[in-house]
Amino acid sequence: MSDETTKQFTTLLDNSILSRLERMRINPRRRMTNRMHGEHLSGKGGTSIEFSDFRDYVAGDDLRHVDWNIFSRLHRPYVKQFRYEEQMSVVILLDASTSMTFDGKFDRARQLAAAFALMGLFSLEPVSLYSCSRLGSLPAICPPCTGRVSRTKVFKFLEELEGGGDFPIEAAVETALRRHRGRGVAIVLSDFLTFGNLGRPFNLLFSAGLEVFAVQILSPAEREPELTGDLRFVDSESDISLDISNVGELLSIYQERRLALETELDEHCRRRRGRFLSISSDDPIEWLLFDLLRRKGWLR
Amino acid sequence: MRWPGFFSLGSAWLALLFVPLVIFYFLKLKRPRQRVSSLLLWYQVINDQRVNSPFQKFKRNLLLLLQLLVLACLVLAAMQPYFAAASPHAKYQPVLIDCSASMAALDRPGGITRLEAAKKQVETLIDNLLPDQQVALIAFHSTARRLTDFTDNKRILKEALAKLEVAPVRSQTIDALRMSQALSRTVPIERVLLVSDGNVPAETDFELPFELVFEQVPPGGPNMGITSFNARRASGEQWEVFVSVEGSATAESTGKLELFRDGSLVGSEPVLLVPGRTKRLVFRLETGTAAALEARLTPDGFDSLALDNIAYLQIPKGRPLSVYAPSTLAAFRRALQVQKGIDLVDETKALPGTSFDLIVSDRPEDMKLESQAALFIGFVPKDLEKLVSIAKGSIDVVDWDRGSPLLQHVLLSDVTAVDQPKIADGVRDGDFERLGYSILAFGRTGPLLLEKRLGARLEYYFLPHTDHSTLPYRVAFPILAANLVEISRVQSGLSEVRESRTGVLPQLQLKPKTAYRVTGPAGASVDVTSSETGLLNGVAAPALGQYRVTEGGTEVARIGVSLLDSMETSLVPVRQLQFRENLQVAATSAVLDADRPLWPLILLIGLGFLLVEWWYFQRRPGGVPT
Repeated sequence: MSDETTKQFTTLLDNSILSRLERMRINPRRRMTNRMHGEHLSGKGGTSIEFSDFRDYVAGDDLRHVDWNIFSRLHRPYVKQFRYEEQMSVVILLDASTSMTFDGKFDRARQLAAAFALMGLFSLEPVSLYSCSRLGSLPAICPPCTGRVSRTKVFKFLEELEGGGDFPIEAAVETALRRHRGRGVAIVLSDFLTFGNLGRPFNLLFSAGLEVFAVQILSPAEREPELTGDLRFVDSESDISLDISNVGELLSIYQERRLALETELDEHCRRRRGRFLSISSDDPIEWLLFDLLRRKGWLR
Repeated sequence: MRWPGFFSLGSAWLALLFVPLVIFYFLKLKRPRQRVSSLLLWYQVINDQRVNSPFQKFKRNLLLLLQLLVLACLVLAAMQPYFAAASPHAKYQPVLIDCSASMAALDRPGGITRLEAAKKQVETLIDNLLPDQQVALIAFHSTARRLTDFTDNKRILKEALAKLEVAPVRSQTIDALRMSQALSRTVPIERVLLVSDGNVPAETDFELPFELVFEQVPPGGPNMGITSFNARRASGEQWEVFVSVEGSATAESTGKLELFRDGSLVGSEPVLLVPGRTKRLVFRLETGTAAALEARLTPDGFDSLALDNIAYLQIPKGRPLSVYAPSTLAAFRRALQVQKGIDLVDETKALPGTSFDLIVSDRPEDMKLESQAALFIGFVPKDLEKLVSIAKGSIDVVDWDRGSPLLQHVLLSDVTAVDQPKIADGVRDGDFERLGYSILAFGRTGPLLLEKRLGARLEYYFLPHTDHSTLPYRVAFPILAANLVEISRVQSGLSEVRESRTGVLPQLQLKPKTAYRVTGPAGASVDVTSSETGLLNGVAAPALGQYRVTEGGTEVARIGVSLLDSMETSLVPVRQLQFRENLQVAATSAVLDADRPLWPLILLIGLGFLLVEWWYFQRRPGGVPT
C-alpha cells in the first residue's frame, strides 16, 4: 500500500469519516434556496425535468408547456408544471473566542464545521465559513466555494484557524451576515456562553433566509463541574473574577441554569424553524455525525 | 429575672481577639483561582442563590461565623459567668452531713439510702463551686469529725464524700455546730449548710454565730424498729424482759419479734403496730446464770431501716446481795434480815479489801470498805465538818425529797431525835452541792439526810444516829431498809438490766488501774486502763453487737450495744431547728441555691460549634444531579 492511499486529507477528520460524509447530505427543514440553479428542488414551478403538477391554462402561459395529449382527450388545455432546482447556501459560523478553547471545544467545532462543509461541497452548494475571535478585528472568512475541488481549501482554512479572543457570538453572527448573500442554512457552532441578547442573532439569521442549525458545544467540566470549597472564578475572555463560597452546594443551581440556557436556545431556534443541539466536547465524532445527527434528522 | 455575673470580668479583654480573627480569616481566605470559559452561568447561579435564600450572604461566611461563635464561647467561658444565688456568696462554707443511723433508711425497696441522697446534693454543691469558694466537709452523728479542711479541690472533696458511711448511732448536731464555730475563728464563715434527713434533736442549746441552712433530704420509707430492751429481776432466778417496738408507718404494720438467749430461740411474739403507738412486749425468762439476749424484729413488709431491727442485752449471773452492817446496828440488821436474797455479815467478816454490795454503818472507819451503795449514820463526813455539826437537841423534819428512791413511801414527819445537825453560820445549800452532796431531808437547823455519788458508788449520810431517834419504831424504817436494798440491787446490776446504746460503752466497775482489752463485734479491739476507782468508761462503741472486755485473755464483762433510739426509728423529721434566743431554722427540701457556674455549659456549646465547623469544612461536595 502506497503512502498516497494512507495520506490523510485533513488532520481534522479521518479519511474513513470523510468518505462516509461524502455520501451524506444536509437535510434542511425548509426549502430556503437561492434563485440560482442548484440541486435543491424549489417549491415553485421550474424548468427541471422532474414533473410536479398540472394546472388550467390561463392566458399568457407559455404554449410550450401545454400538454397536448390531455388536450386531445379532454379538449381542454392544461399546463404541465415542472419542479425548479435551486441553490442552497451553507453558512458555517465558528465561535473562536477564548471560551471555545477549553477542553477541546474548538477542535470539536472545527471537526463539525469540516463535516458540514464537506457535505455542502459534495451537494454542489456554495459553502462559506466565518470564524470570529477578537472583537473589533475582521472575522476569518472562507468565501463561498462549491464542488469537491474546494474541499482542500476549506480544510486548510479550518486547520489554520486559531481560537482565542472575546468576540461574542451575537456580534459574530451580525458581522458574518454583513458579508453573506444568499438563502440556505446557517450552522452556528458555539458554546453560546454570552452575556448578550441571544434572540437578535437568531432573528438576523432568520431574516437573512437562513435556517439555523445551532450546535452548542460544552466541555465535560462545563456540563458537570466537580468543584467544592471557596473558589475565585476567572472569566477566560474578560479576566473578570467572581468569588464563590461553597461551590459544591451551588452545583445544583448551576445545573438548573445550564439546562435553562439550553431550553432558551432551543426555544429561539424552534421559533424560527431552526434546530438546536447541545453536545459535549468529549462525545465521539463518529457517534455525533453518523448516529446523533442522523437520528435528529439533521443529516440524511 | 436574674442576670449572670462574671467571676473574671477582666477576661473580657480577650474579646479583642475578634479583630485578629476576622483579619486573619480574610487574609487566609485566598481562594484558589479557577479559570473558567465564561462566568455567565456562575453569575446566574449567584443571582439565583441570592434570590432564593435570604440567608445566603450570611451563609457565605458561615465558617467565619462559626469561628466567631467558638471564640465568643471561649471568651465567655474565660470570663467565668455564673448565675448568682439568691443568698449571699459564701467564700468559706462548712457542710455538715448527717451520717447517723436514720440516714441508712431506704426510700423504697432497692432504693438509695438517705446518706446517698445527701451525698448527691453535696456533690452538686461541689460541682458548682466557684474558683474563690472553699468547702469543708464535716460528718456528724453523736459526735462530729472533719472529713476535709477548707478546700476547693473537688477530687479531695468527692473522695472524702465517697468514703462517708452511716454509723448506727443517734444524731446530735451540737458537736458539728461547735466545730463549725471553731472553724469560724480561722476563716470568715457566713453560712453553714446542714444536710440531714431531719432526724436530729429539734432543740439545740447553741448560739448560732452564722447563718444555718438546713437542707433536708427526702425522708425514708416506712420503718419498724426496736426502741427499748430492758430486763428486771422478778424474783429469784425469774427475769422479765421488756421490748418496745415503734414505727414510722402511717398505716398498721405487722411483724414478728423473736428473743434469743445465747443463740437459742426462747420466745416469739407477733407485732401489730398502730401508727403513733408503741408496742410493748414482755418475755419471762428463768436463768440463774449470765445470759446474752438478742431481740430480732422481722417486719412483714418493706422496712427502710435494718439497723434498728436487732438489739442486745446482757443478763448478769444471779447471786445474793452482800450486805455489811456492824452488830451495833441491831435495828438495821433486823430490818435487813427479813429481806430475801440477802447475805448479811457483821464486822467480823469485814476484812480490808472485802467488797460488798451494801454497807450500813455508824463507824467512820467503814467508809474505806468497798461497796456499790452505802448508808452511814450518826456522823458527819470529814469534808462536811466545816459546814455542819451535830449538837444535842431535838430535831423536827421540815421536808424531804419524796421522789428520791431511798425515801419512796417513807414518812419522816413524826420522827424525832436527840442529835441535832446544825448548819454553820453563812452556809447555804449550794455549798453542799458544790461538794457533790444533795440534801434529801431537811431539819429545822440543818440537813438530815444527804446523798453523794462517788464514782459508781452511791453514798447516803443520815446525820442523826437512828438509835438516838424514833425512826426504828416507825413504819418508815423497814420501808427505808427495803428501798436501800433495792437501790443496792440496782447499783450492783442484780435487780434490772438496762440496754446499752451505740456511741460509748456504759461505764464498768472493774479493778482499779488495770489494763483491759475491749473487742468490738467486728473484731477491732482497743486497750484501755481502768481509773483509780476501778471505773472503765469513755470506750467508743460505734457498731451494733457484743463488746467483750478481757483482762489478760479472760473475759470479765460482755456488753451488748444496740441503736434503740425512738428518734432514729420513727424517721419523723423535724421541720425546724430551735436554737438559743428563740432562733429558729426551718428545713428546706430544695437544694441549696448556690452560685451556678455556666462556663462548663458554654465550653460545651463552643465544642459543639467547633464540631459543626469541622463537619462543614470537611463535608463532601453535593448538588450534582444524577
